Amino acid sequence: MHEELLAAMRASIVDGDQDAAAETARQAVAEGMDPLVAIDDGYVSGLSHVGACFSAGDMFLPDMMLAARAMKAAMAVLEPELAARSAQRRVRGRVVIGTVKGDIHEIGKNLVGMMLSASGFEVHDLGVDVPVDRFIEAAREHRADIVGVSALLTTTMTGQRAVVEGLAAAGLRPGVKVIVGGAPVTRAWAAEIGADGYSEDAMGAVALATRLMDGADAPASVG
Amino acid sequence: MRETRVGGVPFARLGPDACARVHEAALGILERTGARLMEPRAVTLLASAGARVDGDHVWIPRELVARALATAPRSVTLYDRTGRPAIGLAGHTFWAGPGSDCLHILDHRTGERRTPTLADLREGIALVDALPDLDFVMSLFIPGDVDGRLADRHQMAAMLEGTTKPIVMVSYEPSGMEDGIEMAEIVAGGPDALRARPFVATYINVTRALLQGESELRKLLWLAERGYPFLWIPVTSGGTTGPVTVAGTLALNTAGVLIGVVLSQLVREGAPIILPGFGGDGLDLRTMVDPYAAPDARGPAAALAHWYGLPMFSLAGGSDGKVVDGQSAAEAALTLLVDAASGGQLTHDCGYLESGLTGSLAQMAICDEIVAWIRTATAPIDVSDAALALDDIDRLGVEGSFLETDHTLDRYRERWYPAVFERGTVESWVAKGSSTLAQRAAQRVDALLAAHQPTPLQPDVAAAIRAVVERAEATAGL
Repeated sequence: MHEELLAAMRASIVDGDQDAAAETARQAVAEGMDPLVAIDDGYVSGLSHVGACFSAGDMFLPDMMLAARAMKAAMAVLEPELAARSAQRRVRGRVVIGTVKGDIHEIGKNLVGMMLSASGFEVHDLGVDVPVDRFIEAAREHRADIVGVSALLTTTMTGQRAVVEGLAAAGLRPGVKVIVGGAPVTRAWAAEIGADGYSEDAMGAVALATRLMDGADAPASVG
Repeated sequence: MRETRVGGVPFARLGPDACARVHEAALGILERTGARLMEPRAVTLLASAGARVDGDHVWIPRELVARALATAPRSVTLYDRTGRPAIGLAGHTFWAGPGSDCLHILDHRTGERRTPTLADLREGIALVDALPDLDFVMSLFIPGDVDGRLADRHQMAAMLEGTTKPIVMVSYEPSGMEDGIEMAEIVAGGPDALRARPFVATYINVTRALLQGESELRKLLWLAERGYPFLWIPVTSGGTTGPVTVAGTLALNTAGVLIGVVLSQLVREGAPIILPGFGGDGLDLRTMVDPYAAPDARGPAAALAHWYGLPMFSLAGGSDGKVVDGQSAAEAALTLLVDAASGGQLTHDCGYLESGLTGSLAQMAICDEIVAWIRTATAPIDVSDAALALDDIDRLGVEGSFLETDHTLDRYRERWYPAVFERGTVESWVAKGSSTLAQRAAQRVDALLAAHQPTPLQPDVAAAIRAVVERAEATAGL
């Protein structure tokens, strides 16, 4: 019954139009639409489309940034409504992410965090140059389902192996899954260090995290 | 009109002193050796202007050349089919288009080298219309499924119907040229309208620099009288019809070019003549093939045309290779780059393989990509405050991410992105089928053709053009 409005919500994300995103959210509130429906069937659906287009090479990274901005504008309108209804977005999983010790690259990691967060994951971002102990500590503290480890350099990617081994030594494996990413990282590398998955881009990371949350038998990698 | 000025310091293979020497050599050739002109009206014109004449042999004094060079227009604007300015031939500019009259097509779908059809021709013209960095059209193929004597009429009709881009028209006999121009006049709305906003330039191939045939001279006189722009292109081949050296062949060819300049200005002062931006080429004396991508003579004729300050028509984007491969892409890129840097202006032969005998739509799509690349690589750099973005740099500091700034979001599309060149990760490339450049170019051709709908002519105009073709068929007894 809200099909037209949901379509406008999706379009606002695909177009990266903050004003339209906020406006359609206000309209949803006025019409009494369930905000969770608006989020999942409207905005997140648009965001998934943008992510898929980006993965296919049909959209640009800034298109994704614009989409995320629009998403934020919609959420700012919908969050008070969720609180008023005592409703909560279902948390699809708790993720701790960070860039390994010795590496201060953050853009790719931030993108993954942003896409996971927009897709309904609870994301704890530890930042850059993160020591192994900090990953372990945060995984415990936030009862993480998944730890995401980013490395942009061939010289720092060995830090990903250290995180996998550190989590195992702390007795957190295999309960806590580890996913890895970054320009030099490949599926073969992920398998070699015993990580649970690798993705080439942020959208793939969402699919990977979703799959890992859906069952222990999830495939070891996507890409 | 698109910005196609070459930024930075333009490339000039021949400096001013060298240009003056070649020009002086050409003047000497015209005075001492002279030329034979097979059209009596041309000889009479020159005789009455003061040239020495013996039968069809003329010797042209330098004063005549100087006077003609002073009145020939220093720029030519070509319009599109709808009357909008599209191509400005002047200065260091670069405009790209395909070639004409290939005997074979390398089918991008089957890989077969075969005789082209009218359907191939129409498809190729639609592709030129769709490719964003090709600026004008030529006739691409000789269709094998129409009467060979009238192929030029079919080509012209197909170009008028299939694209709004400016046309460089090739014809066989003068009657074919007149029919082609008549079709253009119908589209423009009459001769005066076509003269005011020409969207067709006629290509005239001249037999030899100093031996000029009746057909080409009649075309020149007819077009110059009417003030329609034309390309005067003598063919001199180093080692056979000219000296084997670049300088010798260029000087001899230039003598043939200057005859055209003199004649055109004697017919009508200010008649728009377009010079070759190529010349000085030689046959490959091992294979006797006329190479299209040889480096030897690349650039000097363009430098000379700039020295004269007259508009030019150049040759680049073709390959001597037989298939779409590394050689064809490299030769297209190198020739287009040198011609662009030389300010070659109206530059034809994108899509040629096999030294001009075979045409390939995939190769044409690669040329379009190369032209886009070159335009980007030679464009002037914007150093305005807005482009420097110092406000953002100050605000974001040493660790800032520029990915989320309004500046990035507003302007990221200013950067060039390839349509056929591969830039993805090896994983994504493998996932998409591990394609070669030739395969991706063929895919782009099909994608563009599937999506593109050329703007049609008004039905009455289209019918009138068909009537010109049918009249020619009736005259030929078909």
